Amino acid sequence: MSISTRSHAARRDARAALLFLAPAVLFLAAFVAYPLLTAGVLSFHSWDGVSPRQWTGLANYERLLGDRIFWGSLRNNVLVALTAIVFQVGVGMVIAYWLVRVVPRIKRFAMFVYVIPVVISEICIGLLWGFVYNPYFGLLNGFLNTVGLDELARGWLGDRSTAMPAVLVVMNLTYLGLYILLFVAAFENVDEAVYDAAAIDGAGHYRTFFSVSVPMVWSNVQATTLLAVVSSFKTFSLVYVLTRGGPNNATDVVSTYLFQAGFGNFEAGYASTIGFAQILLTAAVGVFVLGLMRRGKRGEA
Amino acid sequence: MTSSTIHVTRQHPTAVPGTTGRGRPRLSTGTAIVYLILAVHLTVVVFPFLWMAYSSLKSNKNFLASVWSLPTDPQWANYGKALGEGKLLVYAGNSLAVTAVSVALTVAIATAAGYAFVVYRTRWMPWVEVAMLVAMAIPAYVALVPLVATLRDAGLLDTRTGVVLPTVAFNLPVSVLIMRAFFSTVPRSLVEAARVDGASELRAFLRVMVPIARPAMFTTAIVNTIWVWNDFLFPLVLLNTPSKKTLPLGLTDYVGERVTDYPVLLAAILLAALGSFVVYAALQKHVIGGLTSGAIKQ
Repeated sequence: MSISTRSHAARRDARAALLFLAPAVLFLAAFVAYPLLTAGVLSFHSWDGVSPRQWTGLANYERLLGDRIFWGSLRNNVLVALTAIVFQVGVGMVIAYWLVRVVPRIKRFAMFVYVIPVVISEICIGLLWGFVYNPYFGLLNGFLNTVGLDELARGWLGDRSTAMPAVLVVMNLTYLGLYILLFVAAFENVDEAVYDAAAIDGAGHYRTFFSVSVPMVWSNVQATTLLAVVSSFKTFSLVYVLTRGGPNNATDVVSTYLFQAGFGNFEAGYASTIGFAQILLTAAVGVFVLGLMRRGKRGEA
Repeated sequence: MTSSTIHVTRQHPTAVPGTTGRGRPRLSTGTAIVYLILAVHLTVVVFPFLWMAYSSLKSNKNFLASVWSLPTDPQWANYGKALGEGKLLVYAGNSLAVTAVSVALTVAIATAAGYAFVVYRTRWMPWVEVAMLVAMAIPAYVALVPLVATLRDAGLLDTRTGVVLPTVAFNLPVSVLIMRAFFSTVPRSLVEAARVDGASELRAFLRVMVPIARPAMFTTAIVNTIWVWNDFLFPLVLLNTPSKKTLPLGLTDYVGERVTDYPVLLAAILLAALGSFVVYAALQKHVIGGLTSGAIKQ
């Protein structure tokens, strides 16, 4: 093939590539990149969303540094992420192992049930759990009364000390199914011969799980942990529908606080600052978690 | 990760759920404990739904008198009330329209892009890929304030089109990666044959590749359907007129308005959840496949 035809082919490739990618690039540029950059610009402004905006320099960022509600909401996001790593990735892995290796007979049925909350809208799930936690006719209080623990009954979502744990329980129960699903798929990909080797070694399920299964799917553990962290910082709907971030911002996550600032208080500039700071922090956490896992892996090998 | 790893780990003496070692058929204590734990857990997961189903048939008086009891005299009229007063069919229609258009656009655009990533090698391609990966980690709410301003300027605020556009954009990266993963499994020779055949690039794609890619496109469509049908954030911020609202958004309005007749509320929640459940039950394999590939790629 002569050089000229090759460069001709390259040019043809480039033109075709442009044609096939153009729609995707345009959509991402217009509705992801552009709003994001605009948010960056807005974060240095004071703006109510309608009237002309005013440049205020770093004032929004200074306010953010001293904003206890923002840091509280960020702490809640971190709580969501940490509980997700333990109760979704961790527990999901154990349950998936049980379903694949210990009680395969109920695997299909159990997976069917676990995935139900994942496919139903978070709004329906949240409204339903509102009934569970209701102070007057809630299922949870009803249960406590039945078993004689009346004094524990309360308005779970209205009480500052129980609201966030109550939200976390709903979140982890709801999304766990996704992680069970992912780990069932991962464990089923592990070569049966590896388990045979472990069995010959006389390894029980406990050792097989930690020395065979988990190391074999370590790349999935990393990917799902990253997924759990990223999703935790995206979370909005369940918190919104359960508590709107209340009582007294006790359950606010960054998304609900941003929503309140931007569309409740009409502080569009400050809302952009919250969002922009959030991206930077998410990136930092993501890099940190990935680094930790790399190290964990090395330490184990 | 072979036997050498196993030897290094220290022995753990305590019996752990299901420690049967090699023996399979005997129901050991461990396996029994696993069954028990899973039974309790599955009950916790499924009971709220069952409770919702039977409580939705109670009268309000009956419901308030006892939360646990089964309905003595099923009030099927609750469902009629929920449908009528809740305008659930209007909302469901909007959800259907937004979902259908968003999913069709996303799948079409993602298929073309996923194909391009695998087939063409240009110098700027890796940059587009990195941009896609970065976009996946970005929470949609960060873009909300500017999006509202942009859509307002374009006259698209409070329209269903205005919901579709950012929805497609934010669901594209994962969808493109699913399609790319599929096209990378197509034998290179088949792609080359289609292109050399004298057909134009576009024709090779439409005539040869799209038919082969149908299963992957279906998977992408399924995950997107779940995401868009259930999405709440964009409709909440971008829609205001009741007759344009999607199902999750309309449902929260209805719940807000109507605080007294709880069984009717439960009926409305159940109806709103029913669509997703029926699709899931009917297409379980595809839904699970779609969720798996949609999540792993992140």
